[in-house]
Amino acid sequence: MALYKSILVAKADLKMAMKVKMVRYGLIGIGALGPITMLVTVALMVYGDPVIGVLILPSISAILAPMLGMIAIIPASMIAANALVGEKEMNTLEPLLSTPLTDRELLIGKLLSSFIPSMALLLGSILVSEIGTFIILRSVGAEFILVPGIPGLFLLLTAGPTLIVAIVSIMILISGRVKRVYEAYQTSGAVVMVFILPMMIPTMTMGAGTVDMNSVWMWNIITFLITLVIAASTWALAVRKFNRDTMISM
Amino acid sequence: MVIKLDEVVISGLTKKFDDLTAVDHIEFNVAKGSIYGLLGPNGAGKSTTIRLLCTLLRPDEGTATVSGFDIIESPVQVREITGVLPEEGNHTLYQTLSGYDNLEYFARLYDVPEDEIPGRIEELLTFMDLWERKDDPAGELSTGNRQRLALCRALLHKPKVLLLDEPTAALDPVAAKRVRKLILSFSEKYGQTFFINSHNLSEVQRMCDKIAIIDEGKILLSGDTQELRTRFKTSQDFRIRVVDDLEKAGSIAESLDFVTSLKKEADTIVVTIEDPFTNNSMLMQSLLSQGIKIVEFAEEEATLEDLYLDVIKEGGAK
Ligand SMILES: Nc1ncnc2c1ncn2[C@@H]1O[C@H](COP(=O)(O)OP(=O)(O)OP(=O)(O)O)[C@@H](O)[C@H]1O
Ligand SMILES: [Mg+2]
Repeated sequence: MALYKSILVAKADLKMAMKVKMVRYGLIGIGALGPITMLVTVALMVYGDPVIGVLILPSISAILAPMLGMIAIIPASMIAANALVGEKEMNTLEPLLSTPLTDRELLIGKLLSSFIPSMALLLGSILVSEIGTFIILRSVGAEFILVPGIPGLFLLLTAGPTLIVAIVSIMILISGRVKRVYEAYQTSGAVVMVFILPMMIPTMTMGAGTVDMNSVWMWNIITFLITLVIAASTWALAVRKFNRDTMISM
Repeated sequence: MVIKLDEVVISGLTKKFDDLTAVDHIEFNVAKGSIYGLLGPNGAGKSTTIRLLCTLLRPDEGTATVSGFDIIESPVQVREITGVLPEEGNHTLYQTLSGYDNLEYFARLYDVPEDEIPGRIEELLTFMDLWERKDDPAGELSTGNRQRLALCRALLHKPKVLLLDEPTAALDPVAAKRVRKLILSFSEKYGQTFFINSHNLSEVQRMCDKIAIIDEGKILLSGDTQELRTRFKTSQDFRIRVVDDLEKAGSIAESLDFVTSLKKEADTIVVTIEDPFTNNSMLMQSLLSQGIKIVEFAEEEATLEDLYLDVIKEGGAK
Protein backbone atom coordinates (compact mmCIF):
# COMPACT_ATOMS: atom_id res chain seq x y z
CA MET A 1 0.00 0.00 0.00
CA ALA A 2 1.57 3.21 -1.19
CA LEU A 3 -0.24 6.42 -0.32
CA TYR A 4 1.38 8.36 -3.15
CA LYS A 5 -0.37 6.07 -5.61
CA SER A 6 -3.72 6.94 -4.07
CA ILE A 7 -2.84 10.62 -4.22
CA LEU A 8 -1.95 10.19 -7.90
CA VAL A 9 -5.39 8.78 -8.58
CA ALA A 10 -7.08 11.52 -6.56
CA LYS A 11 -5.13 14.25 -8.36
CA ALA A 12 -6.01 12.88 -11.77
CA ASP A 13 -9.67 12.56 -10.80
CA LEU A 14 -9.76 16.13 -9.53
CA LYS A 15 -8.08 17.45 -12.63
CA MET A 16 -10.64 15.69 -14.77
CA ALA A 17 -13.61 16.55 -12.58
CA MET A 18 -12.72 20.21 -12.86
CA LYS A 19 -12.81 19.89 -16.64
CA VAL A 20 -16.44 18.76 -16.49
CA LYS A 21 -18.50 21.95 -16.61
CA MET A 22 -21.37 20.46 -14.65
CA VAL A 23 -19.02 19.52 -11.84
CA ARG A 24 -17.06 22.76 -11.83
CA TYR A 25 -20.02 25.14 -11.88
CA GLY A 26 -22.04 22.77 -9.74
CA LEU A 27 -19.32 22.90 -7.11
CA ILE A 28 -19.03 26.67 -7.17
CA GLY A 29 -22.81 27.16 -7.31
CA ILE A 30 -23.69 24.70 -4.59
CA GLY A 31 -20.71 25.81 -2.56
CA ALA A 32 -21.92 29.39 -2.60
CA LEU A 33 -25.50 28.47 -1.75
CA GLY A 34 -24.81 27.44 1.87
CA PRO A 35 -22.99 30.57 3.07
CA ILE A 36 -25.37 32.84 1.13
CA THR A 37 -28.44 31.34 2.84
CA MET A 38 -26.63 31.56 6.16
CA LEU A 39 -25.58 35.18 5.75
CA VAL A 40 -28.91 36.38 4.34
CA THR A 41 -30.61 34.92 7.41
CA VAL A 42 -28.08 36.53 9.76
CA ALA A 43 -28.47 39.89 7.99
CA LEU A 44 -32.28 39.74 8.19
CA MET A 45 -32.11 38.98 11.91
CA VAL A 46 -29.51 41.54 12.84
CA TYR A 47 -30.68 44.41 10.64
CA GLY A 48 -34.35 43.69 11.48
CA ASP A 49 -33.91 44.17 15.20
CA PRO A 50 -30.31 44.16 16.45
CA VAL A 51 -31.25 43.42 20.06
CA ILE A 52 -33.59 40.47 19.44
CA GLY A 53 -31.53 39.40 16.44
CA VAL A 54 -28.38 38.96 18.49
CA LEU A 55 -30.39 37.14 21.16
CA ILE A 56 -31.77 34.44 18.85
CA LEU A 57 -28.72 34.19 16.57
CA PRO A 58 -27.17 31.18 18.41
CA SER A 59 -30.41 29.22 17.99
CA ILE A 60 -30.76 30.09 14.33
CA SER A 61 -27.14 29.18 13.80
CA ALA A 62 -27.65 25.80 15.53
CA ILE A 63 -30.44 24.95 13.11
CA LEU A 64 -28.73 26.30 10.00
CA ALA A 65 -25.35 24.63 10.60
CA PRO A 66 -26.58 21.18 9.46
CA MET A 67 -28.00 22.83 6.35
CA LEU A 68 -24.60 24.33 5.60
CA GLY A 69 -23.06 20.87 5.99
CA MET A 70 -25.64 19.20 3.78
CA ILE A 71 -25.09 21.65 0.97
CA ALA A 72 -21.31 21.45 1.20
CA ILE A 73 -21.32 17.64 1.19
CA ILE A 74 -23.69 17.04 -1.73
CA PRO A 75 -20.87 17.65 -4.27
CA ALA A 76 -18.94 14.77 -2.71
CA SER A 77 -21.41 12.35 -4.22
CA MET A 78 -21.17 14.15 -7.54
CA ILE A 79 -17.39 13.77 -7.65
CA ALA A 80 -17.42 10.22 -6.32
CA ALA A 81 -19.97 9.24 -8.96
CA ASN A 82 -17.77 10.72 -11.67
CA ALA A 83 -14.66 9.08 -10.28
CA LEU A 84 -16.12 5.58 -10.19
CA VAL A 85 -19.20 5.15 -12.34
CA GLY A 86 -18.01 7.93 -14.62
CA GLU A 87 -14.82 6.01 -15.40
CA LYS A 88 -16.92 2.99 -16.18
CA GLU A 89 -19.19 5.03 -18.43
CA MET A 90 -16.19 6.53 -20.22
CA ASN A 91 -14.46 3.11 -20.65
CA THR A 92 -11.38 4.25 -18.77
CA LEU A 93 -11.90 1.93 -15.81
CA GLU A 94 -10.52 -1.13 -17.58
CA PRO A 95 -7.06 0.33 -18.28
CA LEU A 96 -6.97 1.82 -14.78
CA LEU A 97 -7.77 -1.54 -13.22
CA SER A 98 -5.07 -3.15 -15.38
CA THR A 99 -2.35 -1.09 -13.69
CA PRO A 100 -0.48 -2.44 -10.65
CA LEU A 101 -2.70 -0.38 -8.32
CA THR A 102 -3.86 -2.54 -5.43
CA ASP A 103 -7.53 -2.50 -4.46
CA ARG A 104 -6.74 -0.46 -1.38
CA GLU A 105 -4.67 2.12 -3.27
CA LEU A 106 -7.45 2.52 -5.77
CA LEU A 107 -10.21 2.84 -3.19
CA ILE A 108 -8.32 5.30 -1.03
CA GLY A 109 -7.51 7.29 -4.16
CA LYS A 110 -11.18 7.43 -5.05
CA LEU A 111 -12.01 8.37 -1.46
CA LEU A 112 -9.50 11.21 -1.49
CA SER A 113 -10.70 12.56 -4.80
CA SER A 114 -14.09 13.22 -3.21
CA PHE A 115 -12.87 13.97 0.27
CA ILE A 116 -10.44 16.75 -0.58
CA PRO A 117 -12.77 19.05 -2.55
CA SER A 118 -15.71 18.35 -0.27
CA MET A 119 -13.70 19.20 2.83
CA ALA A 120 -12.38 22.31 1.12
CA LEU A 121 -15.93 23.30 0.31
CA LEU A 122 -17.10 22.60 3.84
CA LEU A 123 -14.26 24.55 5.47
CA GLY A 124 -14.68 27.36 2.96
CA SER A 125 -18.40 27.57 3.69
CA ILE A 126 -17.73 27.75 7.42
CA LEU A 127 -15.07 30.40 7.00
CA VAL A 128 -17.20 32.59 4.74
CA SER A 129 -20.14 32.30 7.16
CA GLU A 130 -18.03 33.27 10.16
CA ILE A 131 -16.35 36.21 8.43
CA GLY A 132 -19.64 37.42 6.92
CA THR A 133 -21.34 37.25 10.29
CA PHE A 134 -18.46 39.15 11.89
CA ILE A 135 -18.82 41.94 9.34
CA ILE A 136 -22.61 42.12 9.73
CA LEU A 137 -22.40 42.25 13.54
CA ARG A 138 -19.61 44.84 13.47
CA SER A 139 -21.66 47.07 11.19
CA VAL A 140 -24.34 47.43 13.90
CA GLY A 141 -21.76 47.60 16.67
CA ALA A 142 -22.85 44.30 18.21
CA GLU A 143 -20.60 41.86 20.00
CA PHE A 144 -19.21 38.97 17.88
CA ILE A 145 -21.10 35.69 17.88
CA LEU A 146 -19.88 32.60 16.03
CA VAL A 147 -22.22 31.51 13.21
CA PRO A 148 -22.08 28.52 12.99
CA GLY A 149 -21.61 28.38 16.77
CA ILE A 150 -19.60 25.87 18.76
CA PRO A 151 -22.22 23.06 18.58
CA GLY A 152 -22.58 23.61 14.85
CA LEU A 153 -18.80 23.61 14.34
CA PHE A 154 -18.61 20.38 16.29
CA LEU A 155 -21.22 18.79 14.01
CA LEU A 156 -19.65 20.05 10.79
CA LEU A 157 -16.10 19.08 11.69
CA THR A 158 -16.94 15.60 12.98
CA ALA A 159 -20.03 14.37 11.14
CA GLY A 160 -19.02 16.25 7.97
CA PRO A 161 -15.90 14.20 7.14
CA THR A 162 -17.44 10.90 8.28
CA LEU A 163 -20.44 11.52 6.06
CA ILE A 164 -18.15 12.11 3.08
CA VAL A 165 -16.49 8.74 3.78
CA ALA A 166 -19.93 7.12 3.97
CA ILE A 167 -21.00 8.63 0.66
CA VAL A 168 -17.89 7.43 -1.17
CA SER A 169 -18.17 3.96 0.40
CA ILE A 170 -21.76 3.61 -0.70
CA MET A 171 -20.69 4.76 -4.15
CA ILE A 172 -18.06 2.01 -4.26
CA LEU A 173 -20.61 -0.56 -3.13
CA ILE A 174 -23.17 0.38 -5.77
CA SER A 175 -20.72 1.15 -8.58
CA GLY A 176 -20.70 -2.45 -9.78
CA ARG A 177 -24.45 -2.34 -10.21
CA VAL A 178 -25.28 1.09 -11.58
CA LYS A 179 -24.49 2.15 -15.11
CA ARG A 180 -25.15 5.87 -15.12
CA VAL A 181 -23.39 8.56 -13.13
CA TYR A 182 -26.72 10.24 -12.45
CA GLU A 183 -28.25 7.18 -10.82
CA ALA A 184 -25.19 6.60 -8.68
CA TYR A 185 -25.05 10.13 -7.50
CA GLN A 186 -28.68 10.24 -6.44
CA THR A 187 -28.46 6.99 -4.51
CA SER A 188 -25.36 7.80 -2.52
CA GLY A 189 -26.31 11.46 -2.12
CA ALA A 190 -29.40 10.44 -0.17
CA VAL A 191 -27.22 9.75 2.89
CA VAL A 192 -26.81 13.48 3.57
CA MET A 193 -30.41 13.33 4.77
CA VAL A 194 -29.16 12.25 8.21
CA PHE A 195 -28.36 15.94 8.71
CA ILE A 196 -32.12 16.51 8.82
CA LEU A 197 -32.03 15.06 12.36
CA PRO A 198 -29.99 17.84 14.05
CA MET A 199 -31.81 20.38 11.93
CA MET A 200 -35.37 19.40 12.76
CA ILE A 201 -35.51 17.71 16.14
CA PRO A 202 -34.09 20.56 18.29
CA THR A 203 -36.67 22.96 16.77
CA MET A 204 -39.32 21.04 18.69
CA THR A 205 -37.89 22.52 21.86
CA MET A 206 -38.26 26.01 20.42
CA GLY A 207 -39.81 28.59 22.70
CA ALA A 208 -39.66 32.39 22.40
CA GLY A 209 -37.43 32.09 19.32
CA THR A 210 -34.66 30.12 21.02
CA VAL A 211 -33.95 26.40 21.14
CA ASP A 212 -32.71 24.31 24.02
CA MET A 213 -28.93 24.10 23.51
CA ASN A 214 -28.74 20.79 25.37
CA SER A 215 -31.03 19.27 22.78
CA VAL A 216 -28.85 20.77 20.01
CA TRP A 217 -25.72 19.24 21.53
CA MET A 218 -27.41 15.91 22.07
CA TRP A 219 -28.65 15.63 18.49
CA ASN A 220 -25.38 16.82 17.05
CA ILE A 221 -23.57 14.10 18.97
CA ILE A 222 -26.15 11.48 17.99
CA THR A 223 -25.83 12.53 14.35
CA PHE A 224 -22.06 12.22 14.53
CA LEU A 225 -22.35 8.74 16.02
CA ILE A 226 -24.82 7.69 13.32
CA THR A 227 -22.54 8.94 10.53
CA LEU A 228 -19.61 7.22 12.21
CA VAL A 229 -21.42 3.89 12.23
CA ILE A 230 -22.57 4.30 8.62
CA ALA A 231 -19.10 5.35 7.44
CA ALA A 232 -17.25 2.59 9.29
CA SER A 233 -19.59 -0.18 8.20
CA THR A 234 -19.95 0.92 4.57
CA TRP A 235 -16.19 1.50 4.16
CA ALA A 236 -15.37 -1.89 5.65
CA LEU A 237 -17.94 -3.50 3.38
CA ALA A 238 -16.70 -1.59 0.33
CA VAL A 239 -13.12 -2.70 0.88
CA ARG A 240 -14.14 -6.29 1.50
CA LYS A 241 -16.66 -6.59 -1.32
CA PHE A 242 -14.60 -4.76 -3.89
CA ASN A 243 -13.40 -6.82 -6.81
CA ARG A 244 -12.37 -5.99 -10.31
CA ASP A 245 -14.65 -8.66 -11.66
CA THR A 246 -17.89 -6.92 -10.70
CA MET A 247 -16.51 -3.47 -11.47
CA ILE A 248 -16.03 -4.21 -15.14
CA SER A 249 -18.92 -6.58 -15.74
CA MET A 250 -21.94 -5.19 -17.45
CA MET B 1 20.38 -25.67 -28.42
CA VAL B 2 18.23 -22.65 -27.77
CA ILE B 3 15.81 -23.10 -24.94
CA LYS B 4 12.72 -21.03 -25.50
CA LEU B 5 10.95 -20.31 -22.27
CA ASP B 6 7.23 -19.89 -22.13
CA GLU B 7 6.23 -16.42 -21.02
CA VAL B 8 2.54 -17.17 -20.74
CA VAL B 9 1.32 -20.58 -19.63
CA ILE B 10 -2.43 -21.15 -19.69
CA SER B 11 -3.78 -24.29 -18.11
CA GLY B 12 -7.44 -25.23 -17.98
CA LEU B 13 -8.49 -21.58 -17.81
CA THR B 14 -12.27 -21.27 -17.53
CA LYS B 15 -14.60 -18.33 -17.06
CA LYS B 16 -18.36 -18.49 -16.73
CA PHE B 17 -20.92 -15.73 -16.83
CA ASP B 18 -23.99 -17.28 -15.25
CA ASP B 19 -24.92 -20.09 -17.65
CA LEU B 20 -22.53 -19.04 -20.37
CA THR B 21 -19.03 -20.50 -20.41
CA ALA B 22 -17.16 -17.70 -22.15
CA VAL B 23 -13.77 -19.41 -21.83
CA ASP B 24 -13.84 -23.16 -21.58
CA HIS B 25 -10.76 -25.00 -20.26
CA ILE B 26 -8.34 -23.40 -22.66
CA GLU B 27 -4.77 -24.55 -22.71
CA PHE B 28 -1.74 -23.15 -24.52
CA ASN B 29 1.68 -21.59 -24.01
CA VAL B 30 3.16 -18.45 -25.48
CA ALA B 31 6.91 -18.56 -26.05
CA LYS B 32 9.03 -15.71 -24.77
CA GLY B 33 9.60 -13.06 -27.42
CA SER B 34 7.03 -14.47 -29.79
CA ILE B 35 3.89 -12.94 -31.26
CA TYR B 36 0.90 -15.12 -30.54
CA GLY B 37 -2.45 -14.62 -32.24
CA LEU B 38 -5.78 -15.66 -30.78
CA LEU B 39 -8.24 -15.79 -33.60
CA GLY B 40 -11.98 -16.17 -33.37
CA PRO B 41 -15.37 -14.75 -34.35
CA ASN B 42 -17.45 -12.35 -32.26
CA GLY B 43 -18.27 -13.68 -28.83
CA ALA B 44 -15.69 -16.47 -29.06
CA GLY B 45 -14.05 -15.54 -25.75
CA LYS B 46 -11.00 -13.61 -26.95
CA SER B 47 -11.52 -10.51 -24.83
CA THR B 48 -12.46 -12.60 -21.83
CA THR B 49 -9.13 -14.44 -22.21
CA ILE B 50 -7.21 -11.17 -22.16
CA ARG B 51 -9.20 -9.90 -19.18
CA LEU B 52 -8.35 -13.10 -17.34
CA LEU B 53 -4.67 -12.74 -18.18
CA CYS B 54 -4.47 -9.14 -16.95
CA THR B 55 -6.32 -10.13 -13.74
CA LEU B 56 -9.42 -8.03 -14.40
CA LEU B 57 -11.51 -11.17 -14.24
CA ARG B 58 -11.03 -14.10 -11.89
CA PRO B 59 -11.15 -17.55 -13.44
CA ASP B 60 -13.72 -20.06 -12.23
CA GLU B 61 -11.35 -22.90 -12.95
CA GLY B 62 -7.75 -23.34 -14.02
CA THR B 63 -5.10 -20.68 -13.98
CA ALA B 64 -2.33 -19.07 -15.96
CA THR B 65 1.09 -17.68 -15.27
CA VAL B 66 2.61 -14.62 -16.87
CA SER B 67 6.39 -14.56 -16.73
CA GLY B 68 6.18 -17.01 -13.86
CA PHE B 69 3.59 -15.08 -11.83
CA ASP B 70 0.27 -16.75 -11.18
CA ILE B 71 -2.75 -14.62 -12.12
CA ILE B 72 -4.64 -15.70 -9.01
CA GLU B 73 -1.80 -15.71 -6.49
CA SER B 74 0.14 -12.65 -7.64
CA PRO B 75 -2.21 -10.34 -9.55
CA VAL B 76 -0.29 -7.15 -8.73
CA GLN B 77 2.99 -8.58 -10.08
CA VAL B 78 1.18 -9.78 -13.19
CA ARG B 79 -0.24 -6.32 -13.80
CA GLU B 80 3.21 -4.80 -13.29
CA ILE B 81 4.79 -6.75 -16.12
CA THR B 82 1.93 -6.65 -18.60
CA GLY B 83 0.85 -3.87 -20.91
CA VAL B 84 -2.75 -3.95 -22.00
CA LEU B 85 -4.56 -2.50 -24.97
CA PRO B 86 -8.20 -3.08 -24.07
CA GLU B 87 -10.94 -3.86 -26.55
CA GLU B 88 -11.78 -0.69 -28.50
CA GLY B 89 -8.62 0.79 -27.04
CA ASN B 90 -9.18 4.08 -28.81
CA HIS B 91 -12.18 4.71 -26.57
CA THR B 92 -10.34 4.03 -23.33
CA LEU B 93 -8.34 7.26 -23.00
CA TYR B 94 -9.23 10.18 -20.77
CA GLN B 95 -10.83 12.35 -23.41
CA THR B 96 -10.36 15.66 -21.64
CA LEU B 97 -6.72 15.06 -20.80
CA SER B 98 -4.03 15.70 -23.39
CA GLY B 99 -2.20 12.77 -24.94
CA TYR B 100 0.84 13.65 -22.88
CA ASP B 101 -1.12 13.80 -19.61
CA ASN B 102 -2.80 10.49 -20.34
CA LEU B 103 0.62 8.88 -20.70
CA GLU B 104 2.18 10.68 -17.75
CA TYR B 105 -0.61 9.50 -15.44
CA PHE B 106 -0.17 5.89 -16.49
CA ALA B 107 3.62 6.06 -16.41
CA ARG B 108 3.36 7.00 -12.73
CA LEU B 109 0.76 4.34 -12.02
CA TYR B 110 3.16 1.81 -13.56
CA ASP B 111 6.07 3.11 -11.45
CA VAL B 112 8.21 4.39 -14.31
CA PRO B 113 10.97 6.37 -12.52
CA GLU B 114 9.98 10.05 -12.47
CA ASP B 115 13.14 11.24 -14.26
CA GLU B 116 12.62 8.77 -17.10
CA ILE B 117 8.99 9.67 -17.76
CA PRO B 118 9.42 12.70 -20.08
CA GLY B 119 12.02 10.92 -22.21
CA ARG B 120 9.99 7.75 -22.44
CA ILE B 121 6.85 9.63 -23.47
CA GLU B 122 8.70 11.69 -26.06
CA GLU B 123 10.33 8.60 -27.53
CA LEU B 124 7.05 6.74 -27.85
CA LEU B 125 5.03 9.66 -29.15
CA THR B 126 7.71 10.48 -31.68
CA PHE B 127 7.88 6.87 -32.74
CA MET B 128 4.12 6.79 -33.21
CA ASP B 129 4.15 10.15 -35.00
CA LEU B 130 2.08 11.78 -32.31
CA TRP B 131 4.58 14.15 -30.75
CA GLU B 132 3.13 17.21 -32.52
CA ARG B 133 -0.29 16.39 -31.11
CA LYS B 134 0.88 15.74 -27.57
CA ASP B 135 -1.01 18.68 -26.06
CA ASP B 136 -4.32 18.01 -27.81
CA PRO B 137 -7.07 16.50 -25.69
CA ALA B 138 -7.24 12.80 -26.50
CA GLY B 139 -10.92 13.17 -27.35
CA GLU B 140 -10.03 15.43 -30.27
CA LEU B 141 -7.69 12.98 -31.99
CA SER B 142 -8.74 10.74 -34.87
CA THR B 143 -9.52 7.08 -34.23
CA GLY B 144 -6.14 6.00 -35.61
CA ASN B 145 -4.25 8.52 -33.51
CA ARG B 146 -6.14 7.52 -30.40
CA GLN B 147 -5.45 3.86 -31.09
CA ARG B 148 -1.73 4.56 -31.36
CA LEU B 149 -1.88 6.65 -28.22
CA ALA B 150 -3.52 3.75 -26.39
CA LEU B 151 -0.77 1.54 -27.74
CA CYS B 152 1.82 3.98 -26.35
CA ARG B 153 0.11 3.69 -22.99
CA ALA B 154 0.45 -0.09 -23.11
CA LEU B 155 4.16 0.14 -24.01
CA LEU B 156 5.19 2.90 -21.58
CA HIS B 157 6.58 0.79 -18.77
CA LYS B 158 8.40 -1.62 -21.09
CA PRO B 159 6.20 -4.55 -20.10
CA LYS B 160 7.46 -8.06 -20.66
CA VAL B 161 4.14 -9.16 -22.06
CA LEU B 162 1.72 -7.17 -24.19
CA LEU B 163 -1.92 -8.12 -24.34
CA LEU B 164 -3.51 -6.41 -27.31
CA ASP B 165 -7.23 -6.80 -27.91
CA GLU B 166 -7.94 -6.27 -31.60
CA PRO B 167 -5.27 -3.61 -32.10
CA THR B 168 -6.31 -2.78 -35.65
CA ALA B 169 -10.09 -3.05 -35.42
CA ALA B 170 -11.78 0.25 -36.36
CA LEU B 171 -8.73 1.39 -38.31
CA ASP B 172 -8.58 2.01 -42.03
CA PRO B 173 -6.18 -0.24 -43.99
CA VAL B 174 -3.37 2.30 -43.96
CA ALA B 175 -3.63 2.95 -40.24
CA ALA B 176 -3.96 -0.78 -39.57
CA LYS B 177 -0.80 -1.49 -41.53
CA ARG B 178 1.02 1.17 -39.59
CA VAL B 179 -0.02 -0.31 -36.26
CA ARG B 180 1.06 -3.76 -37.42
CA LYS B 181 4.44 -2.37 -38.40
CA LEU B 182 4.80 -0.71 -35.03
CA ILE B 183 4.02 -3.94 -33.23
CA LEU B 184 6.53 -5.86 -35.34
CA SER B 185 9.25 -3.30 -34.84
CA PHE B 186 8.70 -3.26 -31.09
CA SER B 187 8.81 -7.00 -30.96
CA GLU B 188 12.10 -6.96 -32.85
CA LYS B 189 13.62 -4.08 -30.93
CA TYR B 190 12.78 -5.14 -27.38
CA GLY B 191 12.00 -8.83 -27.70
CA GLN B 192 8.74 -8.40 -25.86
CA THR B 193 6.10 -11.10 -25.96
CA PHE B 194 2.89 -10.15 -27.74
CA PHE B 195 -0.48 -11.76 -27.33
CA ILE B 196 -2.88 -10.45 -29.92
CA ASN B 197 -6.62 -10.96 -30.30
CA SER B 198 -8.07 -10.65 -33.72
CA HIS B 199 -10.83 -11.79 -35.98
CA ASN B 200 -8.78 -10.95 -39.01
CA LEU B 201 -6.98 -14.01 -40.34
CA SER B 202 -4.71 -12.31 -42.83
CA GLU B 203 -3.53 -9.91 -40.16
CA VAL B 204 -2.71 -12.72 -37.77
CA GLN B 205 -1.01 -14.66 -40.55
CA ARG B 206 1.20 -11.72 -41.33
CA MET B 207 2.23 -10.93 -37.78
CA CYS B 208 2.06 -13.97 -35.59
CA ASP B 209 4.51 -16.80 -35.08
CA LYS B 210 1.82 -18.97 -33.62
CA ILE B 211 -1.93 -18.86 -33.68
CA ALA B 212 -4.84 -20.47 -31.91
CA ILE B 213 -8.42 -20.48 -33.11
CA ILE B 214 -11.07 -20.09 -30.46
CA ASP B 215 -14.81 -20.46 -30.79
CA GLU B 216 -17.49 -20.69 -28.13
CA GLY B 217 -14.77 -20.56 -25.50
CA LYS B 218 -12.89 -23.57 -26.82
CA ILE B 219 -9.58 -23.74 -28.63
CA LEU B 220 -10.30 -25.51 -31.91
CA LEU B 221 -6.80 -25.50 -33.24
CA SER B 222 -3.39 -24.10 -32.44
CA GLY B 223 0.07 -24.21 -33.86
CA ASP B 224 2.76 -22.59 -35.94
CA THR B 225 1.39 -20.07 -38.40
CA GLN B 226 3.50 -21.39 -41.27
CA GLU B 227 2.59 -24.95 -40.49
CA LEU B 228 -1.11 -24.21 -40.27
CA ARG B 229 -0.95 -22.30 -43.49
CA THR B 230 0.43 -25.21 -45.44
CA ARG B 231 -1.67 -27.68 -43.59
CA PHE B 232 -4.94 -25.92 -44.06
CA LYS B 233 -4.58 -23.77 -47.09
CA THR B 234 -5.61 -26.27 -49.70
CA SER B 235 -6.44 -23.63 -52.25
CA GLN B 236 -5.85 -19.95 -52.76
CA ASP B 237 -7.13 -17.19 -55.04
CA PHE B 238 -4.71 -15.00 -56.98
CA ARG B 239 -5.66 -11.80 -58.72
CA ILE B 240 -3.67 -11.29 -61.90
CA ARG B 241 -3.57 -8.16 -64.05
CA VAL B 242 -1.62 -8.17 -67.32
CA VAL B 243 -0.76 -5.84 -70.16
CA ASP B 244 -2.97 -6.43 -73.23
CA ASP B 245 -3.28 -10.22 -73.37
CA LEU B 246 -5.88 -10.98 -70.75
CA GLU B 247 -7.51 -13.64 -72.95
CA LYS B 248 -4.23 -15.39 -73.59
CA ALA B 249 -3.29 -15.27 -69.92
CA GLY B 250 -6.65 -16.81 -69.10
CA SER B 251 -6.23 -19.70 -71.47
CA ILE B 252 -2.69 -20.39 -70.22
CA ALA B 253 -3.89 -20.48 -66.64
CA GLU B 254 -6.81 -22.71 -67.54
CA SER B 255 -4.49 -25.22 -69.16
CA LEU B 256 -2.62 -25.81 -65.88
CA ASP B 257 -3.96 -28.79 -63.96
CA PHE B 258 -3.62 -27.21 -60.49
CA VAL B 259 -5.91 -24.32 -61.47
CA THR B 260 -9.37 -25.22 -60.26
CA SER B 261 -11.32 -22.17 -61.33
CA LEU B 262 -10.93 -18.96 -63.20
CA LYS B 263 -13.00 -15.78 -63.17
CA LYS B 264 -12.63 -12.80 -65.47
CA GLU B 265 -13.26 -9.38 -63.95
CA ALA B 266 -12.86 -6.20 -66.03
CA ASP B 267 -9.07 -6.03 -66.50
CA THR B 268 -8.08 -8.88 -64.20
CA ILE B 269 -8.48 -12.62 -63.83
CA VAL B 270 -8.94 -14.35 -60.52
CA VAL B 271 -7.37 -17.80 -60.50
CA THR B 272 -7.92 -20.41 -57.81
CA ILE B 273 -5.04 -22.83 -57.45
CA GLU B 274 -4.48 -25.91 -55.35
CA ASP B 275 -1.52 -26.28 -53.05
CA PRO B 276 -0.62 -22.61 -53.43
CA PHE B 277 2.74 -22.81 -51.69
CA THR B 278 4.29 -24.89 -54.42
CA ASN B 279 2.11 -23.85 -57.31
CA ASN B 280 1.95 -20.07 -57.20
CA SER B 281 5.44 -19.65 -58.62
CA MET B 282 4.64 -22.26 -61.28
CA LEU B 283 1.66 -20.23 -62.36
CA MET B 284 3.67 -17.07 -62.58
CA GLN B 285 6.48 -18.79 -64.47
CA SER B 286 4.07 -20.28 -67.00
CA LEU B 287 2.61 -16.87 -67.71
CA LEU B 288 5.97 -15.11 -67.96
CA SER B 289 7.54 -17.80 -70.13
CA GLN B 290 4.80 -17.32 -72.69
CA GLY B 291 5.43 -13.61 -72.94
CA ILE B 292 2.66 -12.34 -70.71
CA LYS B 293 3.54 -9.03 -69.05
CA ILE B 294 2.23 -9.22 -65.48
CA VAL B 295 1.31 -5.93 -63.85
CA GLU B 296 -0.14 -7.41 -60.69
CA PHE B 297 0.01 -10.84 -59.12
CA ALA B 298 -1.69 -10.62 -55.77
CA GLU B 299 -2.75 -13.16 -53.22
CA GLU B 300 -6.39 -12.57 -52.37
CA GLU B 301 -6.82 -12.08 -48.65
CA ALA B 302 -7.91 -15.29 -47.12
CA THR B 303 -10.80 -14.84 -44.73
CA LEU B 304 -11.34 -16.39 -41.38
CA GLU B 305 -14.28 -18.17 -42.89
CA ASP B 306 -12.02 -20.04 -45.30
CA LEU B 307 -9.81 -21.30 -42.55
CA TYR B 308 -12.82 -22.14 -40.47
CA LEU B 309 -14.30 -24.24 -43.17
CA ASP B 310 -10.96 -25.92 -43.54
CA VAL B 311 -10.72 -26.55 -39.82
CA ILE B 312 -14.18 -28.02 -39.75
CA LYS B 313 -13.44 -30.13 -42.83
CA GLU B 314 -10.28 -31.41 -41.20
CA GLY B 315 -12.20 -32.22 -38.04
CA GLY B 316 -14.77 -34.15 -40.04
CA ALA B 317 -12.14 -36.12 -41.94
CA LYS B 318 -10.43 -37.34 -38.77
N1 LIG C 1 -19.06 -9.25 -18.20
C1 LIG C 1 -19.79 -10.14 -18.89
N2 LIG C 1 -20.97 -10.53 -18.43
C2 LIG C 1 -21.70 -11.45 -19.10
N3 LIG C 1 -21.34 -12.01 -20.27
C3 LIG C 1 -20.16 -11.64 -20.80
C4 LIG C 1 -19.33 -10.68 -20.14
N4 LIG C 1 -18.21 -10.51 -20.89
C5 LIG C 1 -18.36 -11.32 -21.96
N5 LIG C 1 -19.51 -12.00 -21.92
C6 LIG C 1 -19.96 -13.00 -22.90
O1 LIG C 1 -18.94 -13.96 -23.05
C7 LIG C 1 -18.79 -14.34 -24.41
C8 LIG C 1 -17.39 -14.08 -24.86
O2 LIG C 1 -17.17 -12.69 -24.92
P1 LIG C 1 -15.82 -12.01 -25.38
O3 LIG C 1 -16.00 -10.55 -25.21
O4 LIG C 1 -14.70 -12.67 -24.70
O5 LIG C 1 -15.80 -12.38 -26.92
P2 LIG C 1 -14.78 -11.90 -28.05
O6 LIG C 1 -14.20 -13.10 -28.63
O7 LIG C 1 -13.86 -10.88 -27.51
O8 LIG C 1 -15.78 -11.24 -29.08
P3 LIG C 1 -15.62 -9.92 -30.00
O9 LIG C 1 -14.91 -10.33 -31.24
O10 LIG C 1 -17.03 -9.56 -30.28
O11 LIG C 1 -14.91 -8.91 -29.21
C9 LIG C 1 -19.84 -13.55 -25.18
O12 LIG C 1 -20.95 -14.38 -25.38
C10 LIG C 1 -20.18 -12.41 -24.28
O13 LIG C 1 -21.51 -12.00 -24.46
MG1 LIG D 1 -13.58 -8.92 -27.87
